[in-house]
Amino acid sequence: MKKRYWRCFVCNDIHYGIAPPELCPTCKVLNAYVEITAEEARKVLGGGPDSPMGKKDFREAIARFTAGNEFEVNPDGEKVDLLLSGVFENEKNHGFKFCPCRLRTKNWDEDLKLVCPCNFTIHETYKGVPNGECWCGLFVRRK
Amino acid sequence: MALLMFYGRECPHCKKMLPLVEKLEQDTSLRFDKREVWHDEKNADLMRSYLEIIAPKCGHQLRVPTFLNTETKDAMCGEVDLEKLKDWAAKA
Repeated sequence: MKKRYWRCFVCNDIHYGIAPPELCPTCKVLNAYVEITAEEARKVLGGGPDSPMGKKDFREAIARFTAGNEFEVNPDGEKVDLLLSGVFENEKNHGFKFCPCRLRTKNWDEDLKLVCPCNFTIHETYKGVPNGECWCGLFVRRK
Repeated sequence: MALLMFYGRECPHCKKMLPLVEKLEQDTSLRFDKREVWHDEKNADLMRSYLEIIAPKCGHQLRVPTFLNTETKDAMCGEVDLEKLKDWAAKA
């Protein structure tokens, strides 16, 4: 199923998926999404205020992301520092926060799977592994 | 025998493996051609050219560190101890 773009006609939230959300998560209006083009979506998103995110902000964002999950950011701060350096280098040089421990193939869909945080919960280094971690070790199973 | 090591400058597993590879090179006649892939596009393209050999052995992805024997068309990826690296590299 191909993903498409959707815009909330009330608050202009943008959704990218195979179907629109029934309830807009921002304005809570029901059945508010209309399909738009990729170009329209880019215009809406590109016209918003800049929201620069430095390494510290990203570190805080991924810590919030892990709260309530069965995994957490690796307590090894030195390792996290090195990985985040790579993530930001990759964003600067290659456009996305790609995992520093894998290489993009230049296939768009495949490469999106390498953007940090990736869905490591399905990977053999994490799934069903008691002390599992993502391939790079940025995320580890919470003890 | 042609042994390659693909690694990333900011990959902690690679950082751990590089000294082991150097130790193996000191102790044996084995030599690895070490290629950094995130800051050198030629090296990245070289790694991509071996996708069909590497991916089946590495979670269907291009992961680093990856060790590749271009003659036997065998690959191994991730952090391993010196013995395992030696055994893998010595396989004809």
